[in-house]
Amino acid sequence: EKWAATRAKHPPTSLALHHFDAKYSVQLGRLWPSVRVALLSERKYGALLNNFSSDAVLANLQAQGCRDFISDSDAEAQSCPEPESEVGADKQEESSDGAMKKSDVDDQQRPPFLLSRNINCAVFPRGDITRFKPARPDMQGLLGYYLMDAASVLPCLALDVQEGHRVLDLCAAPGGKSLALLQTQAVRFLCVNDSSVSRTQRLRKVLRRYVPKEFLTDENIRITSFDGTKWGEIERNTFDRVLVDVPCTTDRHSLTEDDNNIFSKSRTGERRMLPKLQVELLLAGIEAACPGGEIMYSTCTLSQIQNMGVVEQAIHQAQQNHGIHLEVVDLQLVTNMFRKTFHFAPDLHLGVMVVPHLAANFGPIYMCKLKRMT
Amino acid sequence: SVQSAQHSRELHPLSGKAATELSLHSLRDMGFTDIQAQQIWESVSAIRGSSAAKQAMSTLTVLFGLGLNPSSVLKLLQKCPEVYTIKDSQLQKRIGNLRKVGLVEGSLQRVVAHYPQILTVPVKTVKNVALFLREKCLFTSQQVTDILRDCPAIVHEDLAQVEYKFQYVYFRMGVKQTEMVKARLFRITLDEVRCRHCFLERRGLYQTPDKKGQTAIINPKLESIFKADQDTFLTEVAKASIEEYDVFQRLLAKEWQEEEQLYGNIEAE
Ligand SMILES: C[S@@+](CC[C@H](N)C(=O)[O-])C[C@H]1O[C@@H](n2cnc3c(N)ncnc32)[C@H](O)[C@@H]1O
Repeated sequence: EKWAATRAKHPPTSLALHHFDAKYSVQLGRLWPSVRVALLSERKYGALLNNFSSDAVLANLQAQGCRDFISDSDAEAQSCPEPESEVGADKQEESSDGAMKKSDVDDQQRPPFLLSRNINCAVFPRGDITRFKPARPDMQGLLGYYLMDAASVLPCLALDVQEGHRVLDLCAAPGGKSLALLQTQAVRFLCVNDSSVSRTQRLRKVLRRYVPKEFLTDENIRITSFDGTKWGEIERNTFDRVLVDVPCTTDRHSLTEDDNNIFSKSRTGERRMLPKLQVELLLAGIEAACPGGEIMYSTCTLSQIQNMGVVEQAIHQAQQNHGIHLEVVDLQLVTNMFRKTFHFAPDLHLGVMVVPHLAANFGPIYMCKLKRMT
Repeated sequence: SVQSAQHSRELHPLSGKAATELSLHSLRDMGFTDIQAQQIWESVSAIRGSSAAKQAMSTLTVLFGLGLNPSSVLKLLQKCPEVYTIKDSQLQKRIGNLRKVGLVEGSLQRVVAHYPQILTVPVKTVKNVALFLREKCLFTSQQVTDILRDCPAIVHEDLAQVEYKFQYVYFRMGVKQTEMVKARLFRITLDEVRCRHCFLERRGLYQTPDKKGQTAIINPKLESIFKADQDTFLTEVAKASIEEYDVFQRLLAKEWQEEEQLYGNIEAE
């Protein structure tokens, strides 16, 4: 009697679980049970430090046992991007199918890959389940940190924003990643967009709580609510850096909240259309970038179709329909630098993915960086 | 109990001399070695109350009457010195009652040696537990006996907790009484039961059967989940690391605590 089912027969959360079991047990294999239990248990946050706040926030968080995982990263990994053993293995494999030459050429031409500066994010150590307290305002009323999935900071870091860049955040609300990009204080002009008007309102509020007014002038920042897929028609070949953080099946949310769940029966059509929308958004972002500019595609799903599948299609269509040639930027450095903090999916042939694990319950976050060659 | 008294006399000729005063000499006569006799002597002296010394001799006589040998008697008393203070008539009644709930020779001795605390429990309590298991949890008499044999500590548990544990496994895990007995369910704590089950469930390795008793995956046997120690459970059933389970236990404790607070608040409103 005590345990009789009182829930609806097929709530969206269990539909989502069912769907993931079918898809991810194949995709992730032996890793899936471990990812599954993490997804169904309390997640961990990171505290994105607000450099605009005048309080000694990091020192305070450190006193509570946190560390800034970015400055505390594996410095050695930075100087030698790939562990020798792996390079050796790669070459052996590739020489067998005669592709060794190509890999050598790639090594020489690989652009110097840098991380965006000044982004700091505090996390509690591995296995520590302490929660962050809500951030407090400083004397000017600016909050000291923004709580978000620590792995969400990675796409912003790897976007490599440099002094004087013009940056577009195509799907920006509620604004965590925009805020991370602004921390670099290198952006000359930031364009934040989200098609949802109400979510754009939230984003405005976030920016106001974290960034001083003088940085939020019309010359610095533009906040819009356009349909991102149309961006290519509005503003082409313009931005040095573009972040395309698309709507997706938001795996963690879909497993825990029945409200506003993409797996609810009424949203089946919308869900099926996601990969198409994602390709369109990424293509629009590619068009918005200038030649030589870089585009970061990111999601918070484990789905192969929504991740690598979308990137492959967009690369193909950019070439076919727009004559834009793209190159994939190797993000191996990111996995090497931050393996103390995150669990990365092994053997991804395109992009990088943080997979949840109980001891480091961040993610899922997928990211793939493209460089416009033409 | 007349029967059992006879029974014990047959088993051990010493029963007749029950009134003998406790002394090192008499202890040696009973078959203890010098060192063992010394140990008994000291442990009895450590118990306060004037009657302990007199009581001790009859206690020992009853225990020998069960057919236990000197070294197991010593071990038993070291585990639970409280047994010295129980009147021999009480002790006889309690042992008789354990026979009545089905503990046959062999099992009875093992339970008493392994969990002497069972002798400190009134007859009525043991009867209640047995009745409870039969009527509230619908175990058969044989199953009740098996439970008392394998998990004697159940006599010291809060029956509301026992009921909760039973219902959890019956309804939430969809497992019947026979399997519960085999798994020695009542040996592990409710928290551990819920924790192991939830861990498996969230890893996708356990499903509650539907009304027809069907599941989409094959559940591991209850025995393999609960009878094994934690390491074996992790490597063989959950296929997870100790680190993961350690974090999970802490997370789950937090979840439960917050659920309780939530219900507490709803009730308070
Ligand atoms: C994953 S969320 C972005 C999270 C955000 N980047 C952050 O870090 O806080 C995806 C966003 O895409 C927006 N979106 C959905 N369709 C869109 C479209 N066609 N154009 C622009 N934004 C869209 C949604 O409103 C949602 O806010």
